[in-house]
Amino acid sequence: MLNKIITTLVVLAAILFIVNGLRWLVDPAGIVDMFGLELASGVGLSSQVGDMSAFFLTLGICMLMGVVAAEHLWFYPAMLLLGLTTVGRILAWLVHDAALAAHLIAPEVIITLILWIASRRLRDN
Amino acid sequence: MRMSLISKWFRMFSVAALFCCQSVQLQAQSQGTEAVESDAIEAASPDFLQPELLKPEQNRSDKRPNILLILADDMGYTDIAPYGSEVSTPNLQTLAERGVRFTNYHTAANCAPARAMLLTGVSNHLAGVPNIPEMLAPEQKEQDNYQGVLGDNVVTVATLLEDAGYHTYMAGKWHLGMTPDKLPSHRGFERTVAMADSGADHWEQRPYIPLYDKANWFADGEEHTLPEDFYSSTYLVDKTIEFIGSNLGDEQSAENKPFFAYLPFMAVHIPVQAPQEYIDRYMGTYDAGWDALREQRAISASEIGIIPPDTAMNRMPDTEDWNELSDERRLFEAKRMAVYAAMIEAMDAELGRLFDFLKQRGEFDNTIIIFTSDNGSEASGPRDGTSFAASFGPSRLGYELDYDTLGLKGSYNSINPYFASASVSPLAYFKFYAGEGGMRVPLIMAGMDGVQEGSLNQSFTWATDITPTILSLAGVEKPGLRYAGRPVEAMTGKDLTPLLIGEIDRIRAKHETVGYELTGHAALFQGDYKIVANQAPLGDGEWRLFNIVSDPGETRDLRSTMPRQFQKMLSEYEQFKLDNRVASLPQGYTQVKQLFSNVLQKSASNFIILILTLMVLMPFYVAWRMR
Repeated sequence: MLNKIITTLVVLAAILFIVNGLRWLVDPAGIVDMFGLELASGVGLSSQVGDMSAFFLTLGICMLMGVVAAEHLWFYPAMLLLGLTTVGRILAWLVHDAALAAHLIAPEVIITLILWIASRRLRDN
Repeated sequence: MRMSLISKWFRMFSVAALFCCQSVQLQAQSQGTEAVESDAIEAASPDFLQPELLKPEQNRSDKRPNILLILADDMGYTDIAPYGSEVSTPNLQTLAERGVRFTNYHTAANCAPARAMLLTGVSNHLAGVPNIPEMLAPEQKEQDNYQGVLGDNVVTVATLLEDAGYHTYMAGKWHLGMTPDKLPSHRGFERTVAMADSGADHWEQRPYIPLYDKANWFADGEEHTLPEDFYSSTYLVDKTIEFIGSNLGDEQSAENKPFFAYLPFMAVHIPVQAPQEYIDRYMGTYDAGWDALREQRAISASEIGIIPPDTAMNRMPDTEDWNELSDERRLFEAKRMAVYAAMIEAMDAELGRLFDFLKQRGEFDNTIIIFTSDNGSEASGPRDGTSFAASFGPSRLGYELDYDTLGLKGSYNSINPYFASASVSPLAYFKFYAGEGGMRVPLIMAGMDGVQEGSLNQSFTWATDITPTILSLAGVEKPGLRYAGRPVEAMTGKDLTPLLIGEIDRIRAKHETVGYELTGHAALFQGDYKIVANQAPLGDGEWRLFNIVSDPGETRDLRSTMPRQFQKMLSEYEQFKLDNRVASLPQGYTQVKQLFSNVLQKSASNFIILILTLMVLMPFYVAWRMR
């Protein structure tokens, strides 16, 4: 039962990340606000669209691969991406005077924990 | 002693302004900008050096005046009692009786361009707002002045007043950009509650067209959530009172600053919604239909001198015959208009509350109040309010169009083009069109001494004149071609104070021109004349010439009788286009088509994202099933 709940949570989060990645590709102006950014132009826009979409698509696909292939190693890149994002945000707050983006950090930490539990429980079969 | 210092300061400022105007004139000559010549003439007038004629209030109370700028949204020329309306607007009536009503005041025929001119004194094309962003085509957006948001090359009246020591507040519709650097909190307003979209629901935080995911409200630059008991006019007046009250009464304060409050109501923009108690007062008022109302308002306006006696009127093409409608349809259409009237009265009642507050706090007599509308009435509501087509769009947004609850929370009301035509009676066309019905709106200024109370002023005035007038009344210098270390567009609007005190009867010389363009609807004003071209669906794109003083209804085309004047004005219009960087329209462009295209494009993005998401998920689903 717990495995089913964890699987459902991972799949839902993965779909959310994939949608985010696709929004960056299709309609960056519609999602840019969510991250406290302004839409850049020129090379800046290229980096925003390329990097952000790659980040979210990789994240979502790795999570789905972990569930579908039932191989726990797939959860690690996703955990690393989310975990390091959280570390980066906290460092940005401490060192670079950035805002403490608690509303973004909280879901990242929660999903990282879910992925860690998933990697322990949804072991290779 | 203090008066003497003020007087000295003012004389110094006047001399500086004279030099400034002369340099602006030189610059304008080299750049070919809208005629600035008479600015310099005006500045050179000996009366300009007599502050007692320009700042009567200031002299009387030894205190700079507060300024309250009130803007209605999409309200037509004869929608309020002082302009001939049957709608009860006692507070605006009292205001008119205390001040001056301008009968020949013009503005842009739609929202954001009008607001850009109103707040900057600069042509909307040069201020970055040739149209609302929702109606701009991608090709147009390639031009830097076609972004539909207020450019950084203009300074708002709020910035200038704040820098001159005023408290500056805003509560209402902004619609000049919603990125952080474009919000009013970054454009000179100290305290703000701003709705950033073209419109929104009046009862709750809800978008009114699918172009918006949500109603974008901001308070002091941060996203804002509306209270549960929200009604737009009430809430905006509440916030205005809160802002003004927060800095009043501190007589011991060294500052004791005056305030500039900008109150751009959301009323009467669609969805047209009003409290039940006001709706009840107008049930039955419009049972005689739109033609009767149009006639009745023209007569009233004529009786009070707003328009010449026996002004002829155009009947808009395809106007339906009221008597041919079914009983059910007549009942429904009359109630649509009743809600519209109720919304105007509700706004007036809220204004009364604000005026009472100012009186209680002893600030009313030292407050100059300016009331106007951003453009003529909105006619994009469905012709037949009972049709399936009328309810299809609103129902997709979760709204109802039931007769019993029309105008209440959850109801999406509007008026149709026929009643919109009546609300601008006796003028032709309405919002979006360059006919007088789209561009001529009420303007009332009150609170200054030295004006003939209750007087009417028939001089042609323009939206860009408001900012220079406010600055003059506040004793604040107009910026030149640089402000705060950066280049800015020169203000081309005129200071109306000489008109207010009756010193002159025309603010622009007869040869001076004012041009206007919006999605191909175009006009040029010169003296008493106007050339105008209205595009489809109601216009034919042809230029016509009218004398808008003797014929405000635009019924007698003077092209053939005054060919030289006509040709001269056509040439002036071409110059206006060059000077104001007016872009050509893309092939096949119409404003309605572009709005739909932009809405569809936004919906299309969501659809494409959905399809792509399914495509990405499909292999995983197949793999899962095959395990």
